[in-house]
Amino acid sequence: MRLSSLSKISGILFSVFLLFSCSSDLDFDQVNDFKLEPVFVANLAYFDIPASRLVDDGGTNIGYDSRDFDIFKNKFFTERLKRADFDFEVENNIDRAFVLNMLLLNDQNQVLQTISFTVPSYKGTPNVIKYPTEVFENARLDLLKQTQKIGFVVIIAAGPPLNSESQGNLKLRSSATAYLEIK
Amino acid sequence: MRKVLIFCLVLHLSCFAQNKELLYNFTSIPQSSLVNPGADVSYKYYFGFPVLSGISANVGSSSFSAYDLFANDGVDFNQKVRNVINKSSSNDKVVTNQQLEIFSGGFRIGGRESRSYISFGAYQEFDFFMFVPKDLALLALDGNRNYIGKSFNLGDLNMKAEVLSVFHVGFHKKVNDKLVYGGRAKIYSSGANATSTKNSGYIYTGQEPGTPNLYNQIISSNLELKTSGIAKFTKDEYEGNIARDIANNTFFNGSLGFGVDAGITYYIKDNLQLTASIIDLGFVRQTKDIETITYKGTYQYNGANPDFLGSDDPENVFDEFDKAIPRDTLYNKYTTWRPTKLYSSIQYSFGEARPDDECNCHGKVNKYYKNAVGAQLFAMSAPRIPLFALTAFYRRNIFKKLDLKATYTLDTFSNTNIGLGLAGTIGPVNIYALVNNVLEYKDISKASSAAFQIGINFVFQDKE
Repeated sequence: MRLSSLSKISGILFSVFLLFSCSSDLDFDQVNDFKLEPVFVANLAYFDIPASRLVDDGGTNIGYDSRDFDIFKNKFFTERLKRADFDFEVENNIDRAFVLNMLLLNDQNQVLQTISFTVPSYKGTPNVIKYPTEVFENARLDLLKQTQKIGFVVIIAAGPPLNSESQGNLKLRSSATAYLEIK
Repeated sequence: MRKVLIFCLVLHLSCFAQNKELLYNFTSIPQSSLVNPGADVSYKYYFGFPVLSGISANVGSSSFSAYDLFANDGVDFNQKVRNVINKSSSNDKVVTNQQLEIFSGGFRIGGRESRSYISFGAYQEFDFFMFVPKDLALLALDGNRNYIGKSFNLGDLNMKAEVLSVFHVGFHKKVNDKLVYGGRAKIYSSGANATSTKNSGYIYTGQEPGTPNLYNQIISSNLELKTSGIAKFTKDEYEGNIARDIANNTFFNGSLGFGVDAGITYYIKDNLQLTASIIDLGFVRQTKDIETITYKGTYQYNGANPDFLGSDDPENVFDEFDKAIPRDTLYNKYTTWRPTKLYSSIQYSFGEARPDDECNCHGKVNKYYKNAVGAQLFAMSAPRIPLFALTAFYRRNIFKKLDLKATYTLDTFSNTNIGLGLAGTIGPVNIYALVNNVLEYKDISKASSAAFQIGINFVFQDKE
């Protein structure tokens, strides 16, 4: 009696465990294919210069400023950056034409690249100009990755003189789009 | 990155939910007193087969299964990850619990007529609880470009994990034929704990008219991770075996805590039984190798902002970020509450039987019921809201020494969870096996939760 119930019980228990053995074909190596490809947008630069700050005599003048831009010091980011796009828009309410140069500088203050925009003078109607997207890939991207500073050059074309009473502003707004690949 | 993912998945796959709906009130198994110290369990004495008396594991994920991610079906893995994230919500949880009984035993105190019992034992336990951090997963998968105007909620980060050992002593007494009550005191020794359950904040990118910049980009962070028994493994100079060190801490050098269990069984009528228990009402005071890391602050990113005033105003994004949202390390002791479980059941028995294979020499009729049906309720404390489960069960005495219990459970993880349990006794040897979600076992990889428990005991009753 005991022996037969022993075999009965163990038989039932064993069949319960057999249930563990069934599973679909799983492939855990797929983890090796895992990669993230997020796309981030961020502010790149902006300024808003009132005409009154651009006091000049009506001739050609140059304004300059530079800012540290140290995002590429971050190795994790730089190594995984596959492409970057810069978008710019300029709004000019000043009765003067401008050429705006954006200089990508390395840590020695050497110019790696120059991005140039011509801005027509204000004619009384709102003019926000969106410039074509600057795309950084391959060799151009490698240059971008050495950037440590951004220089801004505002070249004021000849025109009516500006003084501290002058109206209007020159505004830049820009964004960067970063395409990452994280494995 | 990949390592983190694999770690998360392994954790997910090797771990288990805490509801022991099959074991609860399955009184032919001595371990049922671990989920109700007032269970109507009787023996002269018993002891568990060392290390093999109670092995249980339980994994649950309320939104996805291993199959969803790893099916060998030619679908791109990254697409599968995306699908899983998309169909998850930040209230979906991944829950795991594993227990291993090291030793256990019990004996009756008083004379032959006494119905008071002492039980004792030690077991090791691993708990993991996490909400799916949906917003952060989306951010990592897609970036913010397609989510302008959305606040990614840092509060989605919500997890806790603990490895501990539990030493316990319990007492239960059958006061009369109607009432059994019992209680158990527990000492917890926690080898490793990580708790990050009180996070808030957001990552926001918006485009608002009237603002000077193209985007309004803000990170507001209130993140806190408390750890105990883990900090030294993260140091560069650590050279050792993490598993061995955690095991050692768990049993011999853990943060100590205290807890109680209590329970009753009450027979409203001969064949109508009510039970209730509360398990792990307790805490651990985390004191060993503690480290709390916080990131608190708000940072707004504006890009480069020249003013053409000739001022030399160095802008350093990383320094500014670190200043705005500094990483702080604190070394404060903290208290964690154990996940407290509540069980209750009502059971109706029918099919009266008498043991016909034994002569009834004492003149006392040992009648019993061959069948029982009933319902059980389970609740467990968890971050945000408690977990609940409702179980209907049927218990059948197949022959005198073999009991079967079948359960149907509704919970967050599944509404098709059928469990089967068997407990048999041959001489003094008591063997049990409890498996839930049996429907899913035809393809275990598609199961969103799974649990099993097995064990061997030696149970000695009075000679008839």
